[in-house]
Amino acid sequence: MEPPEYSAAGLASRSDTPLLEAVELTKEYEDGTVALRAVSFEVYPGQVYAMLGGNGAGKTTAINLFLNFIEPTSGEARVDGIVTHKEPLRAKERLAYVSENVMLYPNFTAMQNVDFFARLGGQTRYKREDYARVLTRVGLQESAFDRRLRGFSKGMRQKCGIAIAILKNAPAILLDEPTSGLDPKAGMEFIHLLESLRDEGKAILMSTHDIFRAKEVADVVGIMNEGSLVMQRSREELEGENLEKLYVEYMAGYMENAQRN
Amino acid sequence: MLRLIIDKELREIIGSTKFAVTFGVMSLLILLAFYVGARNYQISTQDYEAAVAENLKQMEGLTDWNRVDNRIFLKPEPLTALVSGISNDIGRTVEIQTQWEPRSEDSRFNEDPIYAVFRFIDLEFIFSIVLSLFAILFVYDAVNGEKERGTLRLAFANAVPRDKYILGKLIGSFVALAVPLLVPILIGCGLLPLLGVSMDSSSWIRLGIVIAAGLMYLGVFLTLSIFVSSMTERSSSSFLLLLVVWIFAVLIIPRTAVFVAGRAVDVPTVDAIDFQKSSYMSQLWDEDMKKMDEFRRSPAGQAEAQEDRRRRWRAYMSQLADERTEKIDAFAQRLNEDRRNRDLARQRVALGIARISPASVFTLAATDLAGTSLDLKNRFDVAARAYREAYTRFIVDKTGSSGAGWWMSGNNQDAEEINPYELPAFEYQAAPVSDYVTSALPDLAILMLFNFAFFAGAFLAFLRYDVR
Repeated sequence: MEPPEYSAAGLASRSDTPLLEAVELTKEYEDGTVALRAVSFEVYPGQVYAMLGGNGAGKTTAINLFLNFIEPTSGEARVDGIVTHKEPLRAKERLAYVSENVMLYPNFTAMQNVDFFARLGGQTRYKREDYARVLTRVGLQESAFDRRLRGFSKGMRQKCGIAIAILKNAPAILLDEPTSGLDPKAGMEFIHLLESLRDEGKAILMSTHDIFRAKEVADVVGIMNEGSLVMQRSREELEGENLEKLYVEYMAGYMENAQRN
Repeated sequence: MLRLIIDKELREIIGSTKFAVTFGVMSLLILLAFYVGARNYQISTQDYEAAVAENLKQMEGLTDWNRVDNRIFLKPEPLTALVSGISNDIGRTVEIQTQWEPRSEDSRFNEDPIYAVFRFIDLEFIFSIVLSLFAILFVYDAVNGEKERGTLRLAFANAVPRDKYILGKLIGSFVALAVPLLVPILIGCGLLPLLGVSMDSSSWIRLGIVIAAGLMYLGVFLTLSIFVSSMTERSSSSFLLLLVVWIFAVLIIPRTAVFVAGRAVDVPTVDAIDFQKSSYMSQLWDEDMKKMDEFRRSPAGQAEAQEDRRRRWRAYMSQLADERTEKIDAFAQRLNEDRRNRDLARQRVALGIARISPASVFTLAATDLAGTSLDLKNRFDVAARAYREAYTRFIVDKTGSSGAGWWMSGNNQDAEEINPYELPAFEYQAAPVSDYVTSALPDLAILMLFNFAFFAGAFLAFLRYDVR
């Protein structure tokens, strides 16, 4: 297996210490399936890192390891220097998370949901105005604030999920397929939101299938296949490149290598 | 953190349509139970007072104490209104005869057999059947349901300690179900005096402990549901599993326990005992007949007048009857004691097996506290036997004999009318509150043990639960 290409060029705006680090991160399940093979990458404050890859590539496994939902077989996932499987609670204090399909409490209103999860995230001083401001920022209509989640569309729930992540005010944000299922307008709004969060200095790790969105917003793009990080390039390195073509080439090349080996 | 999770759990349950429906049904059932119980108590009390008065009235005009047909009655207890236990199944009337053993008859279900089929709604029924089912309905998906909905993943993306989360879930669901349950119960308690049920301090204390036991029982099904929910991936699996457990706990284990105990310990039937007694009585009677023949054949003294011989005959008859009664009593006592011992052994086996089920444990605790457990029959039987002794002493005191041979000795028509109010009074004395509590303590302890065991199981299972 060849190591992924990586260049630090183009990351001049980053701070020196990464907020999210995968260090030789490996996950092998009891049935022998290797979900992640010695994957290493870093995400710095004010940076969006997009993990591209197909189903089963290991993107969600990497996110699960950062959230300590599973423990690594070897290697470490670190959040602000804290090893997640050693000090999971401390690590999670510095993390916000938005899943592919945000599911909240259907009997609660949008306000009640964001209030609960903000408090669960340790933010106890917010008032209704604060929630309203963030919900407006993520594009939720005011008339929906006090409606129960039961009737919300996926896009509306996704907005609530992003609001919860923003309200947590964590330095690092994990996004698992956040634009999946969103209509183009909502997808575009989401990208703008992501840019503004990056501008606030958040370190954002996003897994996605969406090459177009990844190229649009990511400072670094990593391509994953069968648990390995097969390519990693900065925005500058990708300048003038056709990411879609690269993606197909790397996937094909990796597969050929794998077949040869 | 804990408070936040409890608060969320409370709001989630209370805000659901399921809760509104359940709360409505529970309130209706509980208030109905109080009303029906109070009505039954009123009817039973009226029946009791009428029966006592009637018993004395039918003695008026009699001139011979030996002709008295005396009965004693089980006075209804206020708590039977709420936890009927076996109070409707056992005989409430006992005919007291100097020569016969007391035996209770005339149960409530004897009068109204329809209730024997469908039973009354009481607090014990509501707790053990309805509440346990509602607890399962609310909590069967406490953990795996959150996983299915995706909220568990989102919650644990935060710095949430698992122990606090599971404890918060338990406390929240307990409070969410317990408080609305207590509201109609408190209203019902407030209505009791208005419905004609006069509760003394002992009854209030015991009712309070019955309710506390009910809450512990609710806790058992909540912790069990959280445990099963933490052990299974799908809420449909946990629901089915809990339903099976519920059916076993509430319906199958108690009945199986009685069946197994019946097979394990052989107890002679009352009819078999009666047959032995009557055989023995016939044997004694045959012996006495011979003695009577001998008496008849013995030549009368020359100086003995006809009247003196008749008096001697009467005295001899009375002596024989007394001796016979004494022997029969001793024989019956032996048989009864043997039967009682075997019955107790069978009860121990049955209750031991039944206690595998929290529903049985709660029923035993509640009926012990209400004074309507199996012990009610024993106490009433003991009281009836004690009264029979007092009554026999009274009759001997009045007539000079136990009266066993009165029908052979003729009747004194010219004597004065008896005063029925001279009869020793019978009043079933309820035991002191400490006795009820002491007998319920083991079952209360088992309920606590169930709570701890299931919570420990839920806790350990959740610590290892895959929240993804």
